[in-house]
Amino acid sequence: MTIATPAQRWPVRAGPYLGPILALVIWELGARALSDAFVLAAPSAILIYLSDNAALMARALGVTLGNAAAGFVIGNLAAIALATLAVVWPRSDAMVRGLALLVFCLPLVATGPILRVVFGPGPWPQIVLAALAVYYTTLIPLLVGLRALPTGWLDLVRSYGRGRMAALIHVRAMAALPYLVAGLQIAAPAAFLGAMVGEFTGAERGMGVLTIRAMRGMNVEMTWALASVATAVAVLGYLAIGWIARLFMADEPPVILAAPAEGGRKGSRAFLTVLAVAAAMIAIWWGGLRLLNLSPFFAKGPWDVFEALFLAPDAAATRSTLANAMRETGVFLLPGYVAGLAAGAVLAMLVVLFPAISGTAMPVAIALRSVPIITTAPLVVLILGRGALGTVVLVAIMVFFPTFVACLHGLRQAPGRVMDVMRSYAASPWQVLLRVRIPAMLPAFFAAARMNVPASVLAVTVVEWLATGNGIGSVMALSASLSDYDMLWSSVALVCVLSAMGYACVGLLERRVLAAYAPEQLA
Amino acid sequence: MSAAVICTDLSKTFKGGVEAVAPTSLTFAAGQTTALVGPSGCGKSTLLRMIAGLEQPSAGQITIGGQPPEETLRKANLSVAFQDPSLLPWRSVRKNIELALDLARRPKKDDDIDQLIRLVGLDGFAETRPAELSGGMRQRAAIARALSTKPDLLLLDEPFGAVDELTRQQLANDLPGIWEARGATTILVTHSVSEAVMLSDRIIVLSPRPARIVEDIAVDLPRPRSSDQARRPEFGAIVDQVFAALAHGMAETLPKAAQ
Ligand SMILES: Nc1ncnc2c1ncn2[C@@H]1O[C@H](COP(=O)(O)OP(=O)(O)O)[C@@H](O)[C@H]1O
Ligand SMILES: [Mg+2]
Repeated sequence: MTIATPAQRWPVRAGPYLGPILALVIWELGARALSDAFVLAAPSAILIYLSDNAALMARALGVTLGNAAAGFVIGNLAAIALATLAVVWPRSDAMVRGLALLVFCLPLVATGPILRVVFGPGPWPQIVLAALAVYYTTLIPLLVGLRALPTGWLDLVRSYGRGRMAALIHVRAMAALPYLVAGLQIAAPAAFLGAMVGEFTGAERGMGVLTIRAMRGMNVEMTWALASVATAVAVLGYLAIGWIARLFMADEPPVILAAPAEGGRKGSRAFLTVLAVAAAMIAIWWGGLRLLNLSPFFAKGPWDVFEALFLAPDAAATRSTLANAMRETGVFLLPGYVAGLAAGAVLAMLVVLFPAISGTAMPVAIALRSVPIITTAPLVVLILGRGALGTVVLVAIMVFFPTFVACLHGLRQAPGRVMDVMRSYAASPWQVLLRVRIPAMLPAFFAAARMNVPASVLAVTVVEWLATGNGIGSVMALSASLSDYDMLWSSVALVCVLSAMGYACVGLLERRVLAAYAPEQLA
Repeated sequence: MSAAVICTDLSKTFKGGVEAVAPTSLTFAAGQTTALVGPSGCGKSTLLRMIAGLEQPSAGQITIGGQPPEETLRKANLSVAFQDPSLLPWRSVRKNIELALDLARRPKKDDDIDQLIRLVGLDGFAETRPAELSGGMRQRAAIARALSTKPDLLLLDEPFGAVDELTRQQLANDLPGIWEARGATTILVTHSVSEAVMLSDRIIVLSPRPARIVEDIAVDLPRPRSSDQARRPEFGAIVDQVFAALAHGMAETLPKAAQ
């Protein structure tokens, strides 16, 4: 008989809470032990700070939440509109994706000051940055969801003589709803992150402004308190959307992490698409400036950037400044990126090998993924200093969580039948991992690797901007404060293009690797 | 009202070069039930989808009641029931039927829908979602949906395909009477020979891919037919004739394929 006595049941029930409680205790003790080092604030100190400064914090939080909410709505509406366009008019799909990716690759920290001069004072730069931070992570799952349905459903619509609009309204919209929710869940914390990054770059009020103030003043409690509040808000936002969705949806939202690998388009076709997207982007850039009728002093068009980079008397100097800065940035970015990917994949595999932990690991990891890592940048700087290590670690952490969640999900996707066959041959867990699970994981891993290119660029530029004074982030900060708009726009364009190229390179690598190791995943 | 379907030199070659339907001329008489029988993968569904306007023919023509299929589609005057019932999972049986009426721009009359649901034997399941129905019940719902718009042309692609043999027999027993009563021109794709003989006025036997007509067999058995009839010699004779035609089609194609 296996009837659990109350004494046996107790640790089982307390299980999920034991970890966090232990962590809090260690945190508290550690902070007290290190109280002279001025890096770590104890949970108790954070609570005391928060209660002493409740009014200040609440005001800042209110401002940032308001901006984040506005950006959330705008960004997601834009994503829904774009996804709808791509589905109703399939020819626009490549263009929509391409432009969306380029905009997603804009370095937010440098876009902030540009938006500031465009919009002037007020909340709009933060709102636009929040919108920019969310639309892509909604657009991609939505595009998948609007298409991931049995062809029979679409045949049904067509067999009654109805077209794409009817299919969209009656079939696709509902079918895509869980995917939309998955996107919105990621978008909630991302909007908060975008609003804070906007506030970093010259707002008057909000959590981002307080964060800068705390860092400048070396105020350890305040820095930790702000990061804790931002983390709590992000996780709550993530959970709240899941909860609301569950009220009117039967199924769990799917975990969609990134666009599936592009179908093998012919080389020349792909090249033409890239050309068309680039041309459209330049046209939009040029036309947008014209339309807004902005002062040419700070509103630099494509031609101005080309001139600054290639024709102006100091073009060579500008180019070498940018190249040096990019090199400095690359030195931090690449190791952090690779380390984050590796750590995410390896940890996910370990978790799967020890099923006992994997049950709790997934929800925790999903919640942690929604933490706006950037808001903890000041903490990393506090702990690891303004040197290379802090930057690399921050990039790695930024990359780690999405990769971990994606890989864990991918590893679990291994088809049950194949697993049964392996088990019937008494295959060891290692063999199952190597032969079945890892091939099943690869698409998710690469999807995360692609999406993490812009994310890691954001991380590195924010640390450089806020703290280290190195690399392209610092060039951006400097040129923003010196009103060197040629340099600012040039660096934005350069980083955007390089990020998009990085994304494309990972995509190429993805197709090569999948073709070699998991051809069934390429279908 | 029902309409004759006339296919003239109809053929289909898919983009990858797969020839699914060889040039075929064929008339489906108005108000009759015609069964298309052929080995799996021979192009039956492709033929049906071309008639439904879901697939463009590579060559040849189709008219439905003297008009091109687009016209029939525009008037939402045909219904297709697929092997996979293709019910929307977030809609109840009733709502799935209402969807067809919405798509076809027909009025939604509650009484008619209730009656239809009763007729297909789903009484009491109107508000149930597909996930909670058995495979056979889903097929019933799909048939009810196809009939709800009162089409002149009913296209059934293995409508009892995705269920076990017992359920299949039960469906084949219960449902055909309902659509026969409507008098629509019915094209039924099946790979079950006895089902074809039981349900149709005429059987077209198709060769392996690309589909050609091997034999055109009239089924002159009295209606309504019951499972008792299946034991009669006339019935058995037609079944044998269909099997012989299928074998003939195979034999003709196989040596060619071996070359
Ligand atoms: N969209 C398509 N593209 C390419 N080949 C197809 C497509 N649809 C069907 N086929 C091929 O056409 C042939 C006939 O298919 P189908 O009409 O579905 O056969 P049946 O319904 O008789 O089993 C098959 O070989 C199938 O693989
Ligand atoms: Mg078929």
